[in-house]
Amino acid sequence: MSLLTEEVAAPTIEGEPLLAVRDLTVRFGEVVANDSVNFEVRAGEVHALLGENGAGKSTLMKLIYGVNKPDSGELHFGGSPVRIDSPAAARRLGIGMVFQDLRLVPALTVAENVALALPLKGIRLDRAGLVRRIEEAADHFGLACDPSALVRHLSIGERQRVEILKVLMAGAKLVILDEPTSVLAPQEVDALFAGLRQLRARGLSVVIITHKLHEARAIADRVSVLRGGKMVLVAADPTAHDDRSLIEAMVGRTVPALPATRPSPRAAATPALELHGVSANGDGGHLALQDVDLVIASGELVGVAGVSGNGQRELYEVALGLRELAGGRVVVAGTDLSGGGPRAAIEAGGVGIPEDPVADAVVPGLSVAEHMALADLKSVRRGFGIDWAKVRSRLAGLDEQTGLRMAGAGRKVADLSGGNIQRVILTRALGSDARLVVAAYPSRGLDVATTRRTQELLLERRAAGAGVLVISEDVDELLELSDRILVLHAGRVAGIVRPGEADRYDIGELMLQGAK
Amino acid sequence: MNLDAARLARGAGRLALAYAAALVLFGAFVVTKGANPIQMYGDMWRSTVLNGTSIGQVLVKASPLILAGLAVAVPAKAGLVNVGGEGQVIMGAVAAGGVALALDGTLPGGVMVVVMMLAAATAGGLWAGLAAVLRLTVRVNEAITTLLLNYVAIDLLLYLIYQPWKDKFGSGQPATRALAVAARLPLIGTSKVHAGFVIAVVATAVIFALLRWTSWGFRLRVVGGNAEAARRAGLPVSALLISAMVVGGALAGLGGMVHFAGAEFKLRPGMTLNFGYIAFLAAWLARHDPLKVAGAAVLLALIAIGGDSLQLDSGLPAAAVNVLMGLVLVAVMGRGQTTRRSPKVAGIPAVAS
Ligand SMILES: Nc1ncnc2c1ncn2[C@@H]1O[C@H](COP(=O)(O)OP(=O)(O)OP(=O)(O)O)[C@@H](O)[C@H]1O
Ligand SMILES: [Mg+2]
Repeated sequence: MSLLTEEVAAPTIEGEPLLAVRDLTVRFGEVVANDSVNFEVRAGEVHALLGENGAGKSTLMKLIYGVNKPDSGELHFGGSPVRIDSPAAARRLGIGMVFQDLRLVPALTVAENVALALPLKGIRLDRAGLVRRIEEAADHFGLACDPSALVRHLSIGERQRVEILKVLMAGAKLVILDEPTSVLAPQEVDALFAGLRQLRARGLSVVIITHKLHEARAIADRVSVLRGGKMVLVAADPTAHDDRSLIEAMVGRTVPALPATRPSPRAAATPALELHGVSANGDGGHLALQDVDLVIASGELVGVAGVSGNGQRELYEVALGLRELAGGRVVVAGTDLSGGGPRAAIEAGGVGIPEDPVADAVVPGLSVAEHMALADLKSVRRGFGIDWAKVRSRLAGLDEQTGLRMAGAGRKVADLSGGNIQRVILTRALGSDARLVVAAYPSRGLDVATTRRTQELLLERRAAGAGVLVISEDVDELLELSDRILVLHAGRVAGIVRPGEADRYDIGELMLQGAK
Repeated sequence: MNLDAARLARGAGRLALAYAAALVLFGAFVVTKGANPIQMYGDMWRSTVLNGTSIGQVLVKASPLILAGLAVAVPAKAGLVNVGGEGQVIMGAVAAGGVALALDGTLPGGVMVVVMMLAAATAGGLWAGLAAVLRLTVRVNEAITTLLLNYVAIDLLLYLIYQPWKDKFGSGQPATRALAVAARLPLIGTSKVHAGFVIAVVATAVIFALLRWTSWGFRLRVVGGNAEAARRAGLPVSALLISAMVVGGALAGLGGMVHFAGAEFKLRPGMTLNFGYIAFLAAWLARHDPLKVAGAAVLLALIAIGGDSLQLDSGLPAAAVNVLMGLVLVAVMGRGQTTRRSPKVAGIPAVAS
């Protein structure tokens, strides 16, 4: 079985582009997010858009989808100039978009969310018909989903699938996917790409943003690269550029590989995390985690693989005291959490990088500095107030120490690009000297260089004697980082393997079928 | 930075336009009632701003409004909707009145005022705190419970003044015995404005400082912005929600005391004049910024006092002033956003702020 088919690019289609963007400029205050950008998409092509965090990729796509307004420049669609001043206008033209931060209504079911995006015929919602159509489409595009499930019970990867399906079902001619694969498992990426190839075969166009070069190679007919708001590579043939030159175009320099040798950690005697027969219910009330036993030693990095929705989220929450147990015990660095909630976990030395930072960690209206203060309020208190000078100096220190080049202290976190939000969360968690680090999709939305830096930081935490639990669907990343890999399937431990003894296909097998 | 200056100017321009629109619409309404709008606005202006006694009346009326407006703004910072200002004002007045009846003549006037203030704040705080506790235990929305508790408070007030606390020697409408002169809030200098206005101003400053500079204020903003993020950061979310509501209720209770001991001196039916609801409008007009809440409360008090001239000079029904308040609210709340907002936070439930 092949996880990623390196396919020969389909013959390029010549002629009038479906979408053309000319000299487009967008400013946010002082930031020039797009600087005289030229970009085009032909009918029947898959076009990959690459670039570092904050390069302006999402901004450009939101512009095409009518969310952002250009300060200057023109848009042409189907050969004629158009003004797209709302998403509704974009949808009327046949442009659909899946946002980087998902936009589903959590309280509604999958079917209802899809219905919101479809032009409704009549007043009555034909539920049975809708469910059938969703099932057909899910099958057709290879994106499994349960139409009657409530979205708020779905994991982030499952939500992503629903979003993509929603746009495809609304019948878009041009589909924009903003980092759709960031939390998908290899098999799911394969399935998604197979679906995209079918779209292309039918003459539809796709723009896909990704930080993974092998994905761009596998699916894209042409690539464009943004750097600092400017297009540095326009509609190039991906086969004509190797990874090195693409990375150089994106970052302006080359990125070294992770060192193969690991320093032996300064390990303490007590394990960083112990799960003894842990079971927990999911939000939907079903048993999402069953009888999980896991001990992470101090100075050990354990990876967790699994198709999203197989208990990863519950595992994350259980380890940090965020979810009630249905059975078993959780011990963080020697402290039994028993009912103490998140506070007990924090006091025992646990920190987390949540799977959905926008929902679970970002407070609208609050600045980067305020988010930093939040992580460690006790130590920055001064009388009844907060010592903001201390927060800022500590923040500068953290930024220096982690080297993640976080956005300025006064910026509002909710205004940052997806990857830059992640950097704030990472700096906060990996800059601390926690005993236990639980990281869900730590490199989600990060560019190549920052992904590498994040991996180094996780290893640094390990070397300093922390226990590290990394949940990821990037099996290659897990193989590179982990001492051991735990595979979750249907809420149970399907197997624990050592990287030297198993490859990505073995792990993929366990992820899909569970223990045999 | 001139970008910011331009943005501020645009914001101020829109606000002015919103007020103007409300005035024009109300003018049109007045025309349909057969009055002359220009003359009417002239009368309102002369009878309030240009008239010393009326300015005093405006500030007297504004005092409980400011306090009750803050009572909406503080919980709103934590994402809570307190519609119960009216009930909390009443409970404050009842507590002050009860203390006055029970301890009449046993304490010096100044001490009495302080005791009444404490009792009123406690009563209002408990009344509002009840709604927060109900939200956290049985999960009923605080907007519903605070609203319902208003009716309970009104019934309690009526029961007390018709039965146990009724002044047996009073005539006409039932009411309690008048507050001893020594226990009343003193007037400021030679004006007709009582010390309640000072209390309101001080409370505004204190609340502003608490929200802006203390760790409590910061944590309230976190809870109001994203309660899940607050929980995950280990904040005591329940305690913070309760504290916001209790502080709010205490402010409204204080408003009730100020009204009782500064203007009414007796508990009587209908004494609170819908302060709680008008203050709710003031808080929303001001987007829950304490200083602006105080400003909006004064503005609404001005409209209310000006409204008396509508009745006298233009022959309009007294309720016409409510139409004007409603129009101002709709126009000001409905004015466009001045900043380009990222839709990034759209997935997070909007909170009152
Ligand atoms: N609504 C906004 N207000 C202010 N600044 C913004 C806003 N949206 C984007 N920006 C800024 O514009 C720049 C480009 O952001 P954009 O989201 O397009 O980046 P991106 O290339 O999609 O990055 P990522 O890979 O991290 O998602 C960033 O500096 C970002 O902080
Ligand atoms: Mg982006």
